Amino acid sequence: MATNILRRAASSVITSKTGSLLTGTSRRSYASVAVGIDIVSAAHGVSLQKARSWDEGVSSNFSTTSVKDIFKGKKVVIFGLPGAYTGVCSQQHVPSYSKNIDKFKAKGIDSVICVAVNDPYVMNAWACKLTAKDVIDFYGDFDGSFHKSLELGKDLSAALLGPRSQRWSAYVVDGKVKAFNVEGAPSDFKVSGAEVILEQI
Amino acid sequence: MAPIAVGDTLPDGNLSCFDAEDKPQQVSVHSLSAGKKVIIFGVPGAFTPTCSLKHVPGFIERAGELKSKGVDEIICISVNDPFVMKAWANTYPENKDVKFLADGSATYTHALGLELDLSEKGLGTRSRRFALLVEDLKVKAANIESGGEFTVSSADDILKAL
Repeated sequence: MATNILRRAASSVITSKTGSLLTGTSRRSYASVAVGIDIVSAAHGVSLQKARSWDEGVSSNFSTTSVKDIFKGKKVVIFGLPGAYTGVCSQQHVPSYSKNIDKFKAKGIDSVICVAVNDPYVMNAWACKLTAKDVIDFYGDFDGSFHKSLELGKDLSAALLGPRSQRWSAYVVDGKVKAFNVEGAPSDFKVSGAEVILEQI
Repeated sequence: MAPIAVGDTLPDGNLSCFDAEDKPQQVSVHSLSAGKKVIIFGVPGAFTPTCSLKHVPGFIERAGELKSKGVDEIICISVNDPFVMKAWANTYPENKDVKFLADGSATYTHALGLELDLSEKGLGTRSRRFALLVEDLKVKAANIESGGEFTVSSADDILKAL
């Protein structure tokens, strides 16, 4: 029922912080993330770039991965963070997921994905540095279009980062958002870690 | 904006980096170059091969020689944020002289007229590869590639201009 309301009025939904849905008269043209929405519809036509070396980019013709291919038919846990090589992201957020990877696998999760508004080469170097590349799939949202389509973009110019994203996590089954958590501030790390979402799966 | 050329005055602008207390800060290009002989070289992207394996190492290796010819500062800029630039700089532990500064919003690259659209490669707006020799804010040499090639912008090439 809630999903149908969303599909009819994708441009006029307001979500509260607790994730419940309220219809409103907003004229926003992007959908927000909330439990029940279809992430493939919300991020329609958007692609991400899988973390890769330049040579891998050349040999794949700099191919991108559509949001549909990432989520359709799969159980995915995805988390987004403000920036590669920054403090909380490197020291807390990624390790929280990499050290719990067996628990995600035990719950039947097909992939754990980390996404940030960085290019795929920086994401690749960072993933290697964190020795997390073989357990987490890192993707770059280089122009911010994925986060913008989900209204998860955040201007972090004050931190000299420019347009980036919120810190968030979601559990998505066949494209449908089953659980969604977003921090009150991007520097916080209270609700978007692995321990929280493991309880929600 | 037309690309910067010999005879031009180097525009001012803010670049970012981390200070001695490891806090992000902005630094003006003029504050680093007024009254001095500086080399500024630009790269399309941190952690990409030509930049990492050829362009930067060339300047690190030649830093001593460049300094003995009166160069006061050797500055590497890229359209990346300062966190990424710092992490990339840390992959060159032997480096003592090259400063890695971030032009995260591409504003300074735009002021130099050297922007390059690399969206197709997943990079967005970046900088052409280049090397400038600047003396007291006057551009004395401007070796600019048309894209990311590496034919005229090396440390060896700029040494010839000194």
